Amino acid sequence: MVEQSQRTTEAREPDAIDLLLEQHARIEDLFRAVLRTTGNAKREAFEDLVRLLSMHETAEEEVIHPIARRRLDFGDAVIDRRLDEERDAKGMLAGLVDLADRGDGKGMDASFDAELGRLRLAVLTHARKEERCEFGRLRHTAGEERLRTLAGAVRAAAALAPTRPHPSLTSPAANIVFGPALAVADRVRDALREVRRDNV
Amino acid sequence: MFNPLEHRGIPLERQIRNWRELSVEPIDPELVDPYTRCRIIALNGIEVEAVNCTHQLIRFCDSDEVRRQLAYVSYVESQQQRVVNWLLPGINSPLEVTLGYEQTAVDLTAWVARNEPDPYLKQAYEFGVLEDFDHLYRYANLYEMVERRKAEKVVDQLTEVMPGRPTTMHHRHPYDEVRDHYDRDTTDVRSKLHALTILAAEQQVMNYYMNVGPHYMEPIARQLYQEISLIEQEHVTHYETLLDPRETWWERQVLHEYNECYLYYSFMQQESDPRIKAIWELHLQMELAHLQQACEHLRRFDGREPEQIVGTDGLPEAVRFEPNKAYLRELIATQVDLTKLGNGYVREAHERFREFQERIHGGEKPPNERVIDEHRAEFGREYRIETEGPHPVRELREPAEVRRG
Repeated sequence: MVEQSQRTTEAREPDAIDLLLEQHARIEDLFRAVLRTTGNAKREAFEDLVRLLSMHETAEEEVIHPIARRRLDFGDAVIDRRLDEERDAKGMLAGLVDLADRGDGKGMDASFDAELGRLRLAVLTHARKEERCEFGRLRHTAGEERLRTLAGAVRAAAALAPTRPHPSLTSPAANIVFGPALAVADRVRDALREVRRDNV
Repeated sequence: MFNPLEHRGIPLERQIRNWRELSVEPIDPELVDPYTRCRIIALNGIEVEAVNCTHQLIRFCDSDEVRRQLAYVSYVESQQQRVVNWLLPGINSPLEVTLGYEQTAVDLTAWVARNEPDPYLKQAYEFGVLEDFDHLYRYANLYEMVERRKAEKVVDQLTEVMPGRPTTMHHRHPYDEVRDHYDRDTTDVRSKLHALTILAAEQQVMNYYMNVGPHYMEPIARQLYQEISLIEQEHVTHYETLLDPRETWWERQVLHEYNECYLYYSFMQQESDPRIKAIWELHLQMELAHLQQACEHLRRFDGREPEQIVGTDGLPEAVRFEPNKAYLRELIATQVDLTKLGNGYVREAHERFREFQERIHGGEKPPNERVIDEHRAEFGREYRIETEGPHPVRELREPAEVRRG
């Protein structure tokens, strides 16, 4: 056997990018949950998804994209494309919220699933492009300290848009109004701008 | 049973595809049956092996007429590879594909081991599968660290994720990787097909890791790919030396084509996605014609009939992707501490093994151990999927203090 060195590994605090990656994973899970469930469980999962997506995209727009724009080569081009994708996704999301609000849940039918499938593909593709073209390069250029500081802002945003730990299949019917879930974006944006002002 | 030698397939002159036909819709990585992804990965490896083997043959063939025939079929097979591999979606990360590769290696090798009639060859698969099983566990921990996602998303709960033979112990002197070969004249045709299949799969794994590894920016990811790609190098030696080196080029070509028919036929039976199943069926029809040409070359250059190579009974029982949890747990419990010496297997850490270990590890923890250490430090636990109870080997259970965080 090899004599093993006793070098221990330092625990690493998650930085802003780690937290955003965790949100990507959670978004993927919630899309699957909405597609694979029915009735109240589906509504609950969808409400969580809308809230999470709204918060997540806003946090990226306010916290990460501005730095990437400044720090990355061709930052403007990279970020403008991401913002275009986010705008398209928001349009689709608003359409889905309208569908879901229609007639006491009866709007969440097969055409809803088809449209949700389109949104899912757009969002997952967008997320992967961020991971490849933005996050990875940012880790190298923005510096660990900066990204760790920004983790606080991402956490603050997440606190404003709580989601259930797991979309439950058995929980009682939630009294859901989807409009306010989308409004999460505004609350998050206001809070993050305040955080930024405090830090300047 | 279906006998590929009795079918003509799609005429060769009609097998070239245009861009529209080559442009296949990828699978949905979130909703796909994980074993559909495994079938894609396995068949990609089979096609890559076929293409590369024919490229080698062309370099050793001095008939222009035959070189043209080989070049044509090789081009067609290259198109088949592009179709099969392009079923994988761009939104999957290389690490997610890696998890698919390891799941493929584990459940394909386990199936082959269970169905291998020759005890020596069976031992070779049983030995090898415990190593790929451990790689899956290491990569799953890397995946959660780097991409913040869980391997269950890729492998579902079809394959357990926990330690096998610890990766550190996979580094052996290359001399000890060389196995005895089967006898081409007496061995069961199933053994020939199994060996070609697992060789092709492992070779593809090696090629993939040694090329994709440097694309990662995280040092631990780069190092883990480098380490495991070198083990795959050893696995290729392990499996390629099972083949009888006295098989002629033409005989090997027949075996390759016959094996491609076998796997497309097998996976066509099992495929749950009708769109993918149609591709397996189309490719089977193409392979039947490739086999015909290979048989012609065998008759012309070796003066032998294909039945002398693959028999007259048709294809063996279809290969299946299915969970092998109990079988793998049994192997872990009984063979986890094996290593290799010469052409056999031993439990002792013999001199050549110890020397090689000292040389390659240089007194430090290798990347495969550091990835687990770093994961524990960051998450307060390891990433495992143990659906059938605690790990069968007590020493390989997750330390209680880690589990408690």
